[in-house]
Amino acid sequence: MASKALISLSTLLLIHSCYSAHEHSLLTPASTSNALPLDIVIETILSVLLLCLGIVLGNKEELKPISWSVWSGMLEREKGCGQFGYLEERVGFLDIRVKRAEFAKWVKGAEEGSS
Amino acid sequence: MAILKLLLSYLSIHPSPLRNPSTTLHLSQQAPAFLSSSESTKDTQETWLIYEQLLLSCLRTGDDNSARLCLQRLSDRFGVDSARVKALTGLYDEATSNSRGELESVLQRYQDILKEDPTNMPIEKRRISLLLSLGRTEDAIKALTSLLSHSPNDAESWAHLSSLYFTQGLYQQSIFCLEEVLLILPNAYNIFARIGEVTYISASTGGNSTNQTEAFEEAIKYFARSVELSEWYLRGWYGLKLITRKLIQGKPSDGTLGKMESLNQLATEKLVQIVSKFRRNEKGWMGFDESEVLAAKDLIDQDEQKFAR
Repeated sequence: MASKALISLSTLLLIHSCYSAHEHSLLTPASTSNALPLDIVIETILSVLLLCLGIVLGNKEELKPISWSVWSGMLEREKGCGQFGYLEERVGFLDIRVKRAEFAKWVKGAEEGSS
Repeated sequence: MAILKLLLSYLSIHPSPLRNPSTTLHLSQQAPAFLSSSESTKDTQETWLIYEQLLLSCLRTGDDNSARLCLQRLSDRFGVDSARVKALTGLYDEATSNSRGELESVLQRYQDILKEDPTNMPIEKRRISLLLSLGRTEDAIKALTSLLSHSPNDAESWAHLSSLYFTQGLYQQSIFCLEEVLLILPNAYNIFARIGEVTYISASTGGNSTNQTEAFEEAIKYFARSVELSEWYLRGWYGLKLITRKLIQGKPSDGTLGKMESLNQLATEKLVQIVSKFRRNEKGWMGFDESEVLAAKDLIDQDEQKFAR
């Protein structure tokens, strides 16, 4: 919620600063120096910083570890299948009849009721 | 909203449900409820992903009615001519055929499709696995090598060819194929461990003792790389411990003994940690395969007995 408020506030500020800059360039005569007033500059930078902060705070997904080995180790211990598990499972070459027989055997060991 | 979300979260926890029977069963039991729910008509990427997974699970558990319904909806959406749907249809036919004759006719149909479109990869893969299933390993290897000659960057095919060579006892060829996989996916730590395993097995079955020591040291390098890429890779640590123990028992004369001992110790520590956390059902440590954990425990126990004696 806080991040949404921050994002909308900083977006408004950013739009306002852009508008001010536009007006400033229209209203100052071409002969005088064309530098932007300090308050517009500050408003622009501040709004961009706040916008970044709001977006980062609004991230709801769990962050992944930066180190590859920590990340893949985490996948291994939590799910038992890393990002290369498909190289061992090889669904494209699935021998469905063997898998079916294997499953039937497993069911026989446990209980009937999946057919 | 409920069941679609349920299935998606289940799939994210169990990314490969076909690996063990209980997860397959769980998934296929959800199939009828999903197929009759209103969410099954949604046209999103996730829905079709779930359809495919359900189809595979139902085929495995023998729930052919749900499987047919999944297949029907997939082919209604993507058309019967889509390569992927064709392969899934073939899979369904393979699973439901009762006699060798029926399988031969499925094989014939694959060949007909390939005659029209020789680069249809999913069908080519189906044909290869059906050849294998019919016991024609040599033909399967030939077909697989020709597939790889026209698409050499398919890691799955290289990995499969490696396992075929392995079943034939052609360890050098098997390792070559795994190295090809590493060229495509240099971070595939399970392939590093697999090369270590194949090197170890081929060295244990033949060769004299100096060659064997060299091969073992080679295997250690691969296992070490696999655990470097994934800090909790059980098979990597297991292999590392197994081989360093063998080398220590062989009492190497040169300066490698100290290195071997420290590697062995590190692997033991990691394995002990994995086994104890898995046995205490600690959260975040339940992904390991139970039989693999048991094997690791056996290996540790063997060492302890040796010290106790």
